[in-house]
Amino acid sequence: MPRRHLIVGGGTAGVNAIRTIREEETERSEITLVSAERPYSRMVLPYYLDRSIAESRVFTATPAVLAEWDVRAHLGRRLARLDPARGVATLDDGTTVEFDDCLIATGSSPVRPPVPGADGRAVHAFWTLDQCRALIADVAPGSHVVMVGAGFIAFTILNAILALGARLTIVEIAPRILPRMIDAAGAELVERWLTRHGVRIRTDAHLTRIEDVPAGRGRRPRKRLSFAAGAPILADVVIMATGIRPNLDFLDGAGIRVNQGIVVDDHLRASAPNVYAAGDVAEGPDRITGAGVVHAIEPTAQEHGRVAGANMAGRDVRYRGSVAMNIVEVCHLDIASFGAWDDASAESAVAALPDRPAYRKLLFTGDRLTGAIILGPASDIWTTNDVGMLKGLVQAQTPLGRWKDYLRANPFDVRTAYLATRTAGALLPETVLGRPAKAPGTTPVAV
Amino acid sequence: MRVLRITPEKCTGCLRCELACSYMQTGTFQPAKSVIRVAPFEGITSYAPYTCVQCAEGWCMTACPVGAITINAAGAKDVVDDTCVGCKLCTIACPYGTMFYDPDRRKAFKCDLCGGAPACAAACPTAAITYEEVATEDWLGDFAAARAARLLAGVA
Repeated sequence: MPRRHLIVGGGTAGVNAIRTIREEETERSEITLVSAERPYSRMVLPYYLDRSIAESRVFTATPAVLAEWDVRAHLGRRLARLDPARGVATLDDGTTVEFDDCLIATGSSPVRPPVPGADGRAVHAFWTLDQCRALIADVAPGSHVVMVGAGFIAFTILNAILALGARLTIVEIAPRILPRMIDAAGAELVERWLTRHGVRIRTDAHLTRIEDVPAGRGRRPRKRLSFAAGAPILADVVIMATGIRPNLDFLDGAGIRVNQGIVVDDHLRASAPNVYAAGDVAEGPDRITGAGVVHAIEPTAQEHGRVAGANMAGRDVRYRGSVAMNIVEVCHLDIASFGAWDDASAESAVAALPDRPAYRKLLFTGDRLTGAIILGPASDIWTTNDVGMLKGLVQAQTPLGRWKDYLRANPFDVRTAYLATRTAGALLPETVLGRPAKAPGTTPVAV
Repeated sequence: MRVLRITPEKCTGCLRCELACSYMQTGTFQPAKSVIRVAPFEGITSYAPYTCVQCAEGWCMTACPVGAITINAAGAKDVVDDTCVGCKLCTIACPYGTMFYDPDRRKAFKCDLCGGAPACAAACPTAAITYEEVATEDWLGDFAAARAARLLAGVA
C-alpha cells in the first residue's frame, strides 16, 4: 500500500512540503491536503492591495498544479481533531482522513485586542485573501486610514495604502514603532522619514474604544478611535495589525507537545513520531542559538516545509535552523534586521550617515556576527548588497577574528570584511536539503 | 555548468564589465544597474569584480514566494520579471549579497549569465572574468584577505 501523507495547511510551509515529497520520494505516495483557504502567497497580498498585480497572481498551488502533483485536496475545510496514535484526522464537516504521517502547517491568525468596537464595520484585519478583498472594497482615494499597530505586518501594506491615495495614521501602543523588528534608534529614523512623507504616527497610544460616527449632512459614516490619553481620531477605515498567533485549536487532546508553537526537533518532527510541524505553528531550531523558536516568517516556513517534506518522503535531513530575518520597504526606505538584533548581552556597534537616511547596528557574540539592523535608501545598491552580506555573516557564523574590530569601527564597509573572511566559501557547500534546489515548476510528477 | 571564473589578480579596475553588464541588463550604459560590482581594495590600488556565484541552494530562488526565480538554459538563477512582485525577500535570503532591486521597475534582478553569453566576460580586456566549465568557488576570498590585511592594522 502506498504511504499516506496528510498535509494540513496550504500556505508556504504546506505547499513546499508537498512539492518536496514529490521531488524526493522513491515510491509514489498518496498526498491529501486539507486547507481552509485556496493556496496563495500571503507575502504578495500587499501588491494585490495596491492593484499592482491581479488577484489571479496570488495563487500558488492552483487546482491545475494540485492535479499535476496528484494531490487530493479538501479546500475550505479545517481540521477539527487529530488522533496521531490511530492515524486519523477528522475534518470540520465530519470527514475522516487516515494517514501514515501528517504535517501540521496551519499557520497563524491575526489577534484582535479586546477593545470595544474592534470587530465592527470598516474595522479590518490584514492577513487573509478575504480580508485583503474587504479592505480593497473600503479604501478609496482620500480615505483616512488608521492603522492600529506599527509592526512588520502593518509596514508591509504601508506603501499600498499610500499608493491608493489614502491618508494614513499609525497608532502604536508601544513607545515606538517596529518594536519587534528594529531598535529604538532605527525606529526614530524611520518615524522621522515617514513623518516627512506625510504619515502621521502616534506612539504610546492605548486604544480604548472604536465607535461608529453616523453619517451626517453630506458626510459619510466614520469611525472614532478613543485613547487612554490624547484626542480621539476620526477614520474612514481602521486596520487592526496587532499581532498574530498560531492556529493550534484542533490539537486539544492530540497529545502533541506545544510551547509557543508545536515543539519540533531538528527533523521538524513533533512529539508524536508520525506528526511533523512547519511554518508559523512550529517552534523549530534557531540557526544561531539552536533553541526552539517561532519565527513566523516566510523564509522559515519555506525551509521548514521542504525539510519536513524530505523527511516525510523517507530521507534523513537534519535542519540547521532558521535565521530570523525581515525586510520591508516604506516610502523608498529599506528596513531589515537579522538574527538576534535585540540581544542586550551582545557587543554592538552603531553608525549612521549624516547626509542620508542610513543606519546600522551590528551585534557580536564572541567574534561572530549574531544580529544586525540595516536601514538605507532602496535606491542605494550598497544597501541591498550589504543586506545580503550581513545575512551571510549571520548565517555562516563566520569567525571574524580581527575583522570584528574592523566591522565595529566601520559598519558601513561590510563587503571588505565579508570577502576577506572567506564567508562566501564557507556558505557555498551549504544546501537546505543536501542537494541543489530545483527550479519552481520542475517538480517530477511521476515516480 | 559554465560559470564566471574570477581571477582578481588580473583585474585592473577598468569597469568595462559593469558597463557591459548594465547594457545587457537594461539597454543603457548605467554601471549603477550592473549586477557585477568591482570592489576596490587597498584604498584604490587594486580591484576585484564580484557577482552571483550561482550557488547550489539558490537561496533567492527557494525564498521567492511566487516562484519568480527560476533556472535558465545557462543554468543561472534568473528573475522572471512578469512574476516578480518586488517583495525583496530574495535580497535578505541571498547570503552572498548579489541580489539587486530596481526601485523604478519594482523588480529584483541578478546575474543571469546573460543567458549563456556573459557580456562582462566578453568585455573584460585582461581575462579577469572568464566563462568556464569549472566548479564555482569563492573567487575573491584569498585575494581580499591578502589585499585588505593592511586595513586591520588601523583597528587592532
